[in-house]
Amino acid sequence: MDGFGVTFAFWILAAVTLVAGSGVMVSRNLLHAVLFLILAFVGVAGFFVLLSAEFIAMAQVIIYVGAIAVLVLFAVLLTPRASRDNSETVWALPGMLLAVCLAAIFLFVVHDTQWKTMTDAPLLTTQDLGRSLLGTWVLPFEIASVLLTAALVGAIMLTRSAEEEAEDALA
Amino acid sequence: MTGVIKSEPFVINIGPQHPSTHGVFRIRATVDGEKVIDAEMVMGYLHRSMEKLAEERTYTQNIPFTDRTDYLSSMSNNLGYCLAAEKLAGIEVPARGDAIRVIMAELQRLASHCMAVGAFANDTGAWQTPIMWTLREREKILDIFEVTSGARLTCNYMRIGGVAFDLRPPFEPMVRKVLTELPPVIEEIEQLLSGNEIFVSRTRGIGVLSPELATNASLSGPMLRGSGIAWDIRKADPYCGYDQYDFDIPIGYRGDSYDRFIVRLEEMRQSVKIVEQALDGLPSGPFCTEVPLALRPPKGEAYARIESPRGELGYYLVSDEGPSPYRFHIRPPSFINLSALKEMTVGGTVADAIVVLGSIDIVVGEIDR
Amino acid sequence: MMPFLATDKWYDLRDLANISSAILDGADRILPFGLVYVLAALIGFVASFLIFVLPSQLFVGVYGERKLIGRIQSRYGPNRVGPFGLLQPIADTIKLLQKEVLTPTRSDRLVMYIAPIFFVAPAVLLFAVIPFGPNMVFADIPVSLMYFLAISSLPVLANFMAGWSANNKYSLFGAIRIVAMTISYETPLVMSLLGAVVITSTLSLQGMVLWADEYKIWLAFVQPLALVIYFICVSAELNRTPTDIAEAESEIVAGYLTEYSGMKWGLFYGMDIGYAIAASAFAATVFLGGWTLFGLEKWVPPWMIFIGKTHLFYALFIWTRGTLPRLRSDQLMAFAWKYLLPLALFNLFIVVTERMIWSEEGYDKAYIYLFAIFNILVSGLLVFAWARFNGYRPDDVPMRPRLVKEARGYVPLGENE
Repeated sequence: MDGFGVTFAFWILAAVTLVAGSGVMVSRNLLHAVLFLILAFVGVAGFFVLLSAEFIAMAQVIIYVGAIAVLVLFAVLLTPRASRDNSETVWALPGMLLAVCLAAIFLFVVHDTQWKTMTDAPLLTTQDLGRSLLGTWVLPFEIASVLLTAALVGAIMLTRSAEEEAEDALA
Repeated sequence: MTGVIKSEPFVINIGPQHPSTHGVFRIRATVDGEKVIDAEMVMGYLHRSMEKLAEERTYTQNIPFTDRTDYLSSMSNNLGYCLAAEKLAGIEVPARGDAIRVIMAELQRLASHCMAVGAFANDTGAWQTPIMWTLREREKILDIFEVTSGARLTCNYMRIGGVAFDLRPPFEPMVRKVLTELPPVIEEIEQLLSGNEIFVSRTRGIGVLSPELATNASLSGPMLRGSGIAWDIRKADPYCGYDQYDFDIPIGYRGDSYDRFIVRLEEMRQSVKIVEQALDGLPSGPFCTEVPLALRPPKGEAYARIESPRGELGYYLVSDEGPSPYRFHIRPPSFINLSALKEMTVGGTVADAIVVLGSIDIVVGEIDR
Repeated sequence: MMPFLATDKWYDLRDLANISSAILDGADRILPFGLVYVLAALIGFVASFLIFVLPSQLFVGVYGERKLIGRIQSRYGPNRVGPFGLLQPIADTIKLLQKEVLTPTRSDRLVMYIAPIFFVAPAVLLFAVIPFGPNMVFADIPVSLMYFLAISSLPVLANFMAGWSANNKYSLFGAIRIVAMTISYETPLVMSLLGAVVITSTLSLQGMVLWADEYKIWLAFVQPLALVIYFICVSAELNRTPTDIAEAESEIVAGYLTEYSGMKWGLFYGMDIGYAIAASAFAATVFLGGWTLFGLEKWVPPWMIFIGKTHLFYALFIWTRGTLPRLRSDQLMAFAWKYLLPLALFNLFIVVTERMIWSEEGYDKAYIYLFAIFNILVSGLLVFAWARFNGYRPDDVPMRPRLVKEARGYVPLGENE
């Protein structure tokens, strides 16, 4: 994709995502951090659209924003208030050190790789995606579904109250 | 696995401002998540010390007080008080007075149940549609009251020895109109709600009242009848000539809110029957015996009870030969009915507590007097 | 391209894309580089939102709904303000604008200000992909159905933010319930729409409308179960009765909207209706055939047909709101997981089998009609059978109480008179 609009959109999205990402780290209030995280997710979805992968972009919004962010919000909500702020910890310095090292590795890789540029984006439709998911990659797909089912059953088991367990024990 | 996730109970106040029309009444509910663990009632927001004030006024002057205790069924309140005073003073009521009293009491029962059924449907969330339909019918009954006694809500119509005024000409056609137009509306409410799966799942099995608890807590009215106990003071201890009319007592199956709802609907149908019979056989003659203005009944005490729309309404009068009663006590059905609220709400959710409160059909004016 | 009476002239209102393309072409020559995008966005906003949605919202949503519910309740709706009460929505807006907006001091002000914005923005965004006519789509992306699903998962966050920022234990409680309910109903929603996708083999809304035009049948007949499940799920997502544990007094715990007053509340309320219009527009596109009407769209402007269908679907929302009581929140979630989700899966199973048969027969047109008849019958059966399996016994519920003649105390069950 080419053109002024694409470049403009790219820079705007980059700025928004980076600001949101740093907002997650910097904000003191945990809920504000989660909201910045949602913004970062939406920014990444925008990047997918720029790469002509609209299906993945929509899937990103549905899954990350619609489900995972809600999960994080529930977790933030239901934990006791004492640990609800992003305050200074002793791990700040090691964290920054780790971040600097990771950034160095990424920059090195980005600089050193011979990136192949394509003139035309291969037009992958959703049909191709579906065919490959259920054809070539069917085993990981099915394993992921089994994993999700196990997680669902585990969540239900964890939250059963005493009476329901007793009820089931006799049945 | 259990006990891993802790939850703490917290206390919420249901009331004193209710979303639905029950009045100022408070329940302090201890809630664990959604389940109610404990419910404590706080009453007294509407206390107006009627019983004490009545000791300063003559017997006839106390009749407006009784209007305002259960403001949704003032005719029944008047009736109970007049019966108690007549028992105390040994006064006979003429046949026409009795028949008019029966018509008025049953019309009042219709109006009160219209309100009760509508407010109950409102509590379950049916966005005001059933209450609009029933209130439209109630307006016709209130117009009848206005024509006869001059007031819609606090009628002050019964007097010791009969009724205050005779029936005026527009009375009979208006009552006939109500008798023809009300049963179809009851049918509509039944169609809309009793068969509705959502309504049934909101009310069936909610607030179950066992017959033993109902008898032991001395409940009365539709609460008692909903649990399957056939007890109606109009049949068991007839007054005002109720034994000449032919009607049935509706009783429920299990004592849940749904049973109380259908019992109330059926009572409306039976009231229509009674009014028809009373109106058809209305005797002529005097409507009130002559009673001195400052009645001085002989020393003694009297307790008279009637079947008000909410249950057994009793009046206890003690006289010391003065113009005012020495002691005036009301046995309010709503107050006694509320004693079972805790057993009915504990174990359910907060939403169920609201539905149960709606099905008990309280009027705070008579709880607090 | 289909025979279509609208021409390419800019003044031909039967195809509004003419005007917008004329404006954009002209602007491209005049404006500096890049500003035409801004103008395109502005035109899209004006055309879709200000011309279509906002009047729909005000007149059908606020005025029409109140009038219709009033008539259901045997009373007139608003009829004082203006002729037949038509200026009522304007009066409401003016009242809300001049109301004092109270924000509690201990609340989180930033989040409280952002929550209405977060609620309004997706409603506006949803109209970007809905086709009003053959050329009248603002953004004809090939995955517009997924776009709709993605955007409709955003208001949940706004509800949660609104409940949390009030710093009030009870609105938080209410907000959690709403979020739990909304995410429970998203799953059957997606499953039911998958059925529609399988038959039409396209994810874009314009593609679905063209499919309905090609096969001359609405998806509502081929997939009646999907339509019913969609209707229930979307009315749960929109917090409308019978599933409105959010907006109506949330039983006693005051809902997540307590601390909002004035226009902030007005935005929540208005966008509630805006979402309902968007969901109706979506249903009209996918299930009711969009802007086609078996060939009538040659004479009647297609956007009129489309708007008519949207409002028809919205009237269904108003109807259920006026009649049905509210479900308790745990009953709601049990309904979604135990009843709707398996039903949607059955539907998916049936439609996938049908698609397989259809592809083996070489995509013959007659098969779709057979499938439609079969699906309607099977859906009815399935709904009742699954309900009975789940414990729905309507004959067990007595409609009338027992009647006895004398007062004799306790009458046990089974004994009568």
